Amino acid sequence: MKLGAYCAMLLREALPDLSWRRRVDARRELLAGIVGAVLVIPQAITFAYLVGLPPETGLYCAVFVGFLASLFGNSPMVGGPNTAVSILLSLTVMQYAGRGSPIYTEFVLVLSLMVGLIQLAIWLLRGAEIFRYFSPAAIIGIKTGVGVLLITSALEGALGLSPLSTQFFYEKFYLAAVSWSELVNPYSVATALVTIVSGLALKRIWPRTYIVAAVIAGGIVGTAIYLVQGPIGSQLELLGHVTMRLLPVQWPHLTPQHWLFMEAVVPSAIAIAVLGLAQSLVIARDLKARLVDDLDLEKEVFAQGIANTLSPIFSTFAGSGSFNRTSVAVGMGARTPLAGIIAAGAVVAFAFALGPLLTYLPMPAIAGVLVLVGIGMIQGDEVRQLMRGRVDGIVFLVTLFTVTFLGLDVGILVAVLASAAFLLAGMSKVDFDVSHEGETECIAVKGNLFYASVDRLGQHLRAHPSACTRLDLTRVPFCDATAHAMICAVQYERSANGGRLDLVPAARA
Amino acid sequence: MRADIMRTTIVTTLAIAALLASAAAMAARPAIDELKSRVVLDDYEANVLFGYNIVMETNKYAARYAGNGLNCTSCHLKGGTQPDGFPLNVAGVYPKWRSKNGVRNGIELRIRDCFLYSLNGVMPPPEAPEVQAVAAYIHYLSEGEVIGKPPAGWGVPTLPDTGADPNPPRGATVYARSCTPCHGKDGRGTAAAPPLWGPDSYNAGAGLNNVQRAAGFIWANMPVGNERSLTHQEALDVAAFLHLQLRPFDPREGGLKKLAERVYHRISTWMGKAER
Repeated sequence: MKLGAYCAMLLREALPDLSWRRRVDARRELLAGIVGAVLVIPQAITFAYLVGLPPETGLYCAVFVGFLASLFGNSPMVGGPNTAVSILLSLTVMQYAGRGSPIYTEFVLVLSLMVGLIQLAIWLLRGAEIFRYFSPAAIIGIKTGVGVLLITSALEGALGLSPLSTQFFYEKFYLAAVSWSELVNPYSVATALVTIVSGLALKRIWPRTYIVAAVIAGGIVGTAIYLVQGPIGSQLELLGHVTMRLLPVQWPHLTPQHWLFMEAVVPSAIAIAVLGLAQSLVIARDLKARLVDDLDLEKEVFAQGIANTLSPIFSTFAGSGSFNRTSVAVGMGARTPLAGIIAAGAVVAFAFALGPLLTYLPMPAIAGVLVLVGIGMIQGDEVRQLMRGRVDGIVFLVTLFTVTFLGLDVGILVAVLASAAFLLAGMSKVDFDVSHEGETECIAVKGNLFYASVDRLGQHLRAHPSACTRLDLTRVPFCDATAHAMICAVQYERSANGGRLDLVPAARA
Repeated sequence: MRADIMRTTIVTTLAIAALLASAAAMAARPAIDELKSRVVLDDYEANVLFGYNIVMETNKYAARYAGNGLNCTSCHLKGGTQPDGFPLNVAGVYPKWRSKNGVRNGIELRIRDCFLYSLNGVMPPPEAPEVQAVAAYIHYLSEGEVIGKPPAGWGVPTLPDTGADPNPPRGATVYARSCTPCHGKDGRGTAAAPPLWGPDSYNAGAGLNNVQRAAGFIWANMPVGNERSLTHQEALDVAAFLHLQLRPFDPREGGLKKLAERVYHRISTWMGKAER
């Protein structure tokens, strides 16, 4: 019976729920979808560049992963290519294959498949609950750290340099500074600067679509330089042909080499799956609190999982919910998954219409977009608010520093550990008031009694083996086996020494 | 005396080691077909295979940077393995100075140049995976060659002086007779052969847009199946005929810059006339 109910629940979550169609405001959803598509195209190309795959795969991710996540989901959350997931995919696969080679592409697809399957496993185990304990401070720390990583990863593209491999990000700035005159391409710098400056200036006027305007401005300046100076004179790097297909269906390669790779990258796959879900669920929880009451978090987990599992079949990489695009969609009035579905369709239409123009999009303009997205991820007011709380501030700083100095994968692990440590530290705080009623000592305990918190109480009780004590446990929500054993041991000790330990148990809920 | 023996021993050992090493190097170079059938490829082998695929089907595997109807193998015949047909076993000759761009060219810059001129496409960055893969393939083909020494059959043969200038109208008749079956009457190419001029062929900056070099290539390799059947003079005539056809402009000078210069020139000459 219980299994049957479980299965029925899974089935309900796994099938697309189209009940939202009754509350669709078609005009608003259409507008939000089209603006979302315009917004995602530069980001998709940029994130494909981050992953190390050709630009069309990023567009496929925006189209197919975005479509599937919206179709199976139940919220206006916009899915598709995501910064942190992209960086992690590339960092993981780069250790096993040359960036961009066919085997690299296959490995990225296989890794995406693993990420999706792990997310589906998390869904089967009812994992959405776990992400409730992922502290917001850690998430903002990761977000800010990713912002810093994005800005540094854009440096070479903006300056027209070949990728610099340095251990820490600040070394890149040093290298660029000392070799400024002989290595840096002024035309690249000009194009990137136009993109960044126009983006920052236009952010005030168009807080939602400024990135599109910035990439157009940078694109026009870069193309003008290219046309006047020529490819040799300007040395500007162009995006190249975006060869998009309508249905890029393929079956992922699974030879023994791929199995070996899969075995080696399980920890990274788990980290990527968890990070993707954590971001998506933070967005979904925020939406649930503010806008959509009937949002089912488990359903969102399934939607993300199934979208990423199917991503390699559509020749693309894993994604997740997007902070910036969801906030734009919701700001434009999207309340249902329809906006995401329309956005996926509109991306196809735009990409085919813009194809020839995209060829001549200068890469420094794309680097400029990376910087703008990075700056957008560093939210000063969010950080200031966090720094007011001591614990939050520490978790944030620890996460930020590990992400920027030790890399995203280590950073996520540290973020999880730091949030868990502080959660545990908060939980293990046990207060007890000691009062005396004649001979009897009354101890009122407040807090959770478990292995991490039981020591101080135990010491106190054991100090007077012959005393009479009444232990008030009415405000103890949780008491584990260690605490139980301690109390039994003390009772035994007391009875042997002529003392007593009486319990006032907590009321059963 | 003992030193002599020692020296002989050392020299012999080194010679044997070198022999063994070269034998190992020869044995270490597997055929492309064998690479294709292998289950596990290391990064170098994967790149060699990718490079081979790019050379054979540039428009499929390097679609991002290719710009016309040609593939690498259209000029680097048989995947760059044909002597006198721009063979690709040239890793040992690079880096070298080239008058084309007036700088020291590494193999990457040479490959990128091909994308820009012969493929009339977008110049890829040096670290583009496509460039790295083709470089790996060229390295693979060059195993056993001597560094600094041009390999046998490098480039195309230089035709001897025929004593007559290349004659484009005669070249047109030769073209109509020998080349149209495969390349088509209008030079746009067919399924059997690549386009020779027009918007889908190499641009004016390409290496083949040079009468001497094109003549050598045509004489040594064309028509396919009946190579070296044209006389030197016929090859030169056809090359001159091809040189006169319309093709995409040389990207070494920006189109707009050229246009602006022409407009400026027109205006200045017109003003000069007006003053007079």
